[in-house]
Amino acid sequence: MNKVMSNKAVIALYVLPALILIVGLIYGPMLLTGYYGLMEWNGMATMTFVGIENYIDLIQDPKFWESAKHSFLLAFFSTLSLAGYLIVSLVLAGKIKGSDLFRKIYLIPMLLSSVAIAQLWIKIYDPNNGMLNSLLMSMGVETPPSWLADTNLVLYAIFVAILWQYAGFYIIIYYAALKGIPESLVEAAKIDGANPIQIAYKIKVPLISGVIKVTVVLAIVGSLKYFDLIYVMTGGGPNGASEVIASYMYKKAFDTFDFGYGSAIAFFLLIITLIVTWLTRKLTATEDEVQY
Amino acid sequence: MKHVWKKLLLLIAFAIVLVLAACGGDSDEASSGENESGSGGDVKTIEFMHLWPEGSSKQHYEIVEGIIDEYESNHSDVKVEVEILSNEQYKEKLKVLSTSNELPDVGMTWAAGFLEPYVSGNMFASLDDLLEGPLKDKFVPGTAEAYAIDDTTYGLPLELNITPLFYNKAIFEENGVEVPETFEEFKQVVQTLVDNGVTPIALGNKDRWTGSMWYMYLADRIGGPQSLNNAINRTGSFEDPALVQAAEELKSLVDMGAFLNGYNGLGNDEAKGYFINEQAAMYLMGSWDLPEWTTNEDNPQEFRDSIGYMKFPVVEGGEGDKDSFVGGPGVGLFVAENSDVKEEAKDFVSFFVEKWGEQSVEKAGVIPATKVDTEGTDLPQMYVDVLNDLNQASNITLYADVQMSAAVAEVHLDMIQALFGDAVSPEEFVKEQENALAQEE
Amino acid sequence: MTLLYIALIIVAIFQIYPLVWLFQFSLKSNAEVFGMSPFSLPQDPRWENYVRVWTDGNISLYFFNSVWITVASVLLTILLASFVTFAITRMYWKGSKLVLGLFMVGLMVPIHSALIPLFSFFLKLNLIDHPLSLVLSYTAFNLPLTIMILLGFYYTLPREIEEAAVVDGCSVHRIFFQITLPMTTPVLATTAIINMIYNWNEFVFVNTFISSDEFKTLTVGIQNFIGQYLTDWGAIGATLMISIIPILIAFLVLSNRIVEGIAAGSIKG
Repeated sequence: MNKVMSNKAVIALYVLPALILIVGLIYGPMLLTGYYGLMEWNGMATMTFVGIENYIDLIQDPKFWESAKHSFLLAFFSTLSLAGYLIVSLVLAGKIKGSDLFRKIYLIPMLLSSVAIAQLWIKIYDPNNGMLNSLLMSMGVETPPSWLADTNLVLYAIFVAILWQYAGFYIIIYYAALKGIPESLVEAAKIDGANPIQIAYKIKVPLISGVIKVTVVLAIVGSLKYFDLIYVMTGGGPNGASEVIASYMYKKAFDTFDFGYGSAIAFFLLIITLIVTWLTRKLTATEDEVQY
Repeated sequence: MKHVWKKLLLLIAFAIVLVLAACGGDSDEASSGENESGSGGDVKTIEFMHLWPEGSSKQHYEIVEGIIDEYESNHSDVKVEVEILSNEQYKEKLKVLSTSNELPDVGMTWAAGFLEPYVSGNMFASLDDLLEGPLKDKFVPGTAEAYAIDDTTYGLPLELNITPLFYNKAIFEENGVEVPETFEEFKQVVQTLVDNGVTPIALGNKDRWTGSMWYMYLADRIGGPQSLNNAINRTGSFEDPALVQAAEELKSLVDMGAFLNGYNGLGNDEAKGYFINEQAAMYLMGSWDLPEWTTNEDNPQEFRDSIGYMKFPVVEGGEGDKDSFVGGPGVGLFVAENSDVKEEAKDFVSFFVEKWGEQSVEKAGVIPATKVDTEGTDLPQMYVDVLNDLNQASNITLYADVQMSAAVAEVHLDMIQALFGDAVSPEEFVKEQENALAQEE
Repeated sequence: MTLLYIALIIVAIFQIYPLVWLFQFSLKSNAEVFGMSPFSLPQDPRWENYVRVWTDGNISLYFFNSVWITVASVLLTILLASFVTFAITRMYWKGSKLVLGLFMVGLMVPIHSALIPLFSFFLKLNLIDHPLSLVLSYTAFNLPLTIMILLGFYYTLPREIEEAAVVDGCSVHRIFFQITLPMTTPVLATTAIINMIYNWNEFVFVNTFISSDEFKTLTVGIQNFIGQYLTDWGAIGATLMISIIPILIAFLVLSNRIVEGIAAGSIKG
């Protein structure tokens, strides 16, 4: 059996095409980014080698650390929100009436492009004519906050939009995982007299723990490099209150022509992500499943 | 563990080989590519990138198409290949293209600070020969100069704008206020409107350049045009008392509640929406928005009729006069230095600038940077007035964020948002910008 | 139970509202989009927004490009990702963990940092302004995510059938194509949906790598209505509505596969 399943030629055939693609199109650019990070370069003709100067500046750049803090907060909230997505998926995957319809409706926001989602949330948060403040005012709140202009609120206001945007993504993954659980296991538990909550908690969740761990990694990695909605909705403002690492990198590289520094940020971001992912996997690893 | 590292190294080496192998193949491919567009065939192709898509800027787009058709029919050996991108995407793509030295033969650029890195990287060709030859004396004085670095001009402007303070006559009338002449009167108008529960000024300061124009006008009215210009060109300092005072005046407006609630989180588009829906009385914006108040059928006729404009009020005891404007040339055309059809490209640019100047006001409502003959044209009155103001302007100060280098502009814009957001004091506001400017010297 | 339904319905309203909003938005003028309450119905529905988008926007051409580029990228990604996941979870070889690690790291690269190197890379391969640059980029950048999702499922799938097949003398290829791949239909449908949405809505790569109209995709059609000074939001809404219909249909079809696949899988399992 091992012989068939360890055929080197087959392994090479299965793995190499994908590997070549990511090595060429992701690792190549990544190494170049690391290389540009050692340069002073405005994106035009000449590059000057400055060693780790960009990285030294980066470590001393309070704006960078501010944006890093925001990225980590986003990662934290995204990870927490997974619990909510999981509960919704457990309900939907259960045998309740209309669950199929609900599932389809729940995934709709995920189909929209970031342009549409950003516009929608801009309208929701508009300080005077927006949906949220119209609602608050009709409920008797006299001066509702200006969500996207308030430096204390803007970050959380955007997080809500991002968490909403990604609901479909995680629900669809959890749903498929839950549907993959063999009926026989659930039936057996029912016969033993377990109630639906016990079944969910004691049987279903442990069975899809591998998938849950994957989503934790996805949520963290995705949050750390998140960019889209923030850039459109606030451009990182006001006063940097919603700046995240990726938007800061984009500003440096594309708005102020400091490609060297921008590349250093990108490379540093990669290293941070690697460390955080490694730590997460260490923390969530169980004895029987250290394999991935 | 050792094995793992060996393999990792091997893979990285493999990646590098892959990249290098691609580099090796480069030289012949690139040269064959050049042949296609260059001297290879009988027909020469000029690649032209612009930012007026048919969808959002139909009139602009049609003028461009018309000029190209005319040019191609006059020059049977030249073909113009157009690529159109929207504003943000255009800027992003231009930067990516420049890193590989692959700029289009002809493209659009902005003045001063935007142009600077491209010129220092030797990406744009000098257009002095056109200015001394076919386009001599065609431009409004001071416009092409905004595209010059060390006395060489690298871009030819297509637009010229000033920034009037638009206001809603109907709202003014309802609240019994008159068009203010001085800043003191202006503040009284603001106060009256605030007291009556009307939003005085629509401002979308998420975009930051919108707020910058308010600051620039105050700086001009208090310290005269030279104080800000000198601070930027380093013959002066940003810590000039006039520049501090301008920040203080701006702060007083903010404290009065002069600006639309939530301005720092609103984009310019949204702020304009408030003005168009008559939810705000005033709106400071470039004359590129004139079609909105004159010809744009999407806005109700009644609304368009009620829009007027005023010159920014003077500050008593200040240096600046009423005929000094914030404004300047908008986009211009460049020719790529490494273009292999450079002569044809220059010829096309020259033709384009001239034809554009003849048609743009009437067909698209764009005031060109070339001199306009308004006689015999049928323009809305507001255009005629703005054109007259433009001709009689005592000074036009180029938008600060355009004058500055990209890095300093970013600091300036951030500081504007911070000043509006009450996050910095006027002293900190000037200090930060002074530091950024000094650092670049 | 009723409480549960009320909760589900409230969430459902939250999730379906954007579509309704987008539709209203597409029939409004700029003046209505901004300034007026977002709840307001279009005063004078501008169906001509749709006509304009279709005629001015080159939409029909972009539409076809979007379809084939999306389909090609999704198929390629899923096939390659399944190969890799199969090899990593089912086959025995040294270095599988290392290779998995390489794919995971690939997940962490923000696309904007890769943009400039990728551009010069494709330029050297002469693939700039060539649709292959898009298909390859989409595949490469979605492979890590796809593999990660597949991986979680492969670990939960029972191995008994595959093991039995090996004993019966099946070749690896037959096991992969005839046993494993069909068993993973639900997750394949899931990753297909995710990939499809990502590729369909992507525009940074299209804008950068493609300059000819003949290869541009629908997302560029949206850009057509964003101008230097004026942005036509009603038309953008119409473009977004048009672009969402095919993906909505594809989504509904694929979404059913998630359930069907399980049924098939559970008979075998």
